[in-house]
Amino acid sequence: MNLRTLLAQAQDFYALSARSLLGIFHRPFRVRETVEQMDYAGSGSVLIVILVSLFIGMALSLQISTELAALGLKMYTGKIVGIAIIREIGPVAIALTFAGRVGSGMASELGSMVLGHQVDMLRVFGMDVVKKLVTPRVLSATLMLPVLTVIGDGAALFGGYYIAAFVSHQSGSFYWGQIAEIMNFNNIVSGLAKPFLFGFLIATISCYMGLAARGGARGLRQATTTAVVLSIIMIIVTDFLLTQILFLLLGMQA
Amino acid sequence: MIEFQDVTLAYNSNRVLDRVSFTAQFWDRLAFLGGSGEGKTTILKLLLALVRPDSGRIMIDGEDITRLSESQLRPIRRKFTIVFQEGALFDSLSVRENVAYCMREQGALSEEDIDEEVRNLLRKVGIEGAIDLMPEELSGGMQRRAAIARSMAAGEPRMMLYDEPTTGLDPLTAENIGDLISELSAGEPPDRRGSIIVTHDVTAAARVSERFLYLKNGRITFDGDLPGLLNTDDEELKKFIDALFLLR
Repeated sequence: MNLRTLLAQAQDFYALSARSLLGIFHRPFRVRETVEQMDYAGSGSVLIVILVSLFIGMALSLQISTELAALGLKMYTGKIVGIAIIREIGPVAIALTFAGRVGSGMASELGSMVLGHQVDMLRVFGMDVVKKLVTPRVLSATLMLPVLTVIGDGAALFGGYYIAAFVSHQSGSFYWGQIAEIMNFNNIVSGLAKPFLFGFLIATISCYMGLAARGGARGLRQATTTAVVLSIIMIIVTDFLLTQILFLLLGMQA
Repeated sequence: MIEFQDVTLAYNSNRVLDRVSFTAQFWDRLAFLGGSGEGKTTILKLLLALVRPDSGRIMIDGEDITRLSESQLRPIRRKFTIVFQEGALFDSLSVRENVAYCMREQGALSEEDIDEEVRNLLRKVGIEGAIDLMPEELSGGMQRRAAIARSMAAGEPRMMLYDEPTTGLDPLTAENIGDLISELSAGEPPDRRGSIIVTHDVTAAARVSERFLYLKNGRITFDGDLPGLLNTDDEELKKFIDALFLLR
């Protein structure tokens, strides 16, 4: 792929992202499609998010309490697990799970519609494909990922509590007390600002790759794989950049 | 009027169309013939501006559509409708919902009127009994009939475009689809609705078309009527026609 093609693709991607956002504010509002997508992205992801988060919380709690016990500080497990999950691990891990489940689904569904000429049919019928197919997906992912993150954070904290209380034999009420202590404005904003951007990125990347699918089953596989890989890379890179920005905005220091 | 003027298109390094030119009226019944990969479907996509040519102009009623934006193209596209090879039905919707799709989007009719119109269209194409089936439950012929009904529901197109409408169908079903295509373009010019069919099936094309264009290596090497096609001096085209008639 030469530089010119790459730049053209980047331009197309930004144009698609902008048009999908503008579509939210212009009639016709695709309420039914958006609700359907929210159901798929949100309700459909709850169980897997809870499962993944629960085990992440347990593993994290086990690692941290073991290390802290050696220093005689295992009573701080709740605080460290809480901060790690709410600020960093929760949003990122849930976004990665979301990219794997929802992003791949969006890319393969749209890719399949492109290859099956269904997208062409919509254009022939005079419909705005971005507004019809992309905007509902972008909106639903942007709104549902923060909700899933809250649910996932809760599950991860519960997993952490289980290990702290029943494996590391700490006081459960002390664990939850420490969690309550770290629930301040800075930590909550740090943890909840990220999923909005992650959801937007996952949906726009996945929709773009799906709509760009060409060349049969192999093209569909490539589009889906690229969508997930690019989403993962963007989540990790954006997480770092956003953390820096939030530190600056919230007056936090490294 | 439809005009292709020196239209050239390549996918990556593969030149699919090479300075293709032809003109047609909206009431014409054309057939593009040619082997696989000769750019027949691409002609239809160019006509609907679903793909853009690398060079050349495509004029629809005097307007160059190669330079128009998606929103500017909407009134142009409304002059046509297309039935793709596999029907391109929305696979998450039933036949009823597929056919009703455009009418619901347009929002001009009540649900009762839409339902009545859907039934009328499905009756016309002969699959009213399949109204509540999903696309995967339909045979190839039924999928194409449903796709034709959906295309008709989109409005009153001046020209119907068919991409390999009989490919993969048994001879009887192919004949029925041919009859349906003829019926939809029945009448005398200039009052009738025209059609462009792209196919490698000469028999199906002969049944529904009056003018035949043969694509070879990205160029139109024959443009004429059925007697001209059958009595062509072009050895390549002769082989193509003979091979298909022999197969049948």
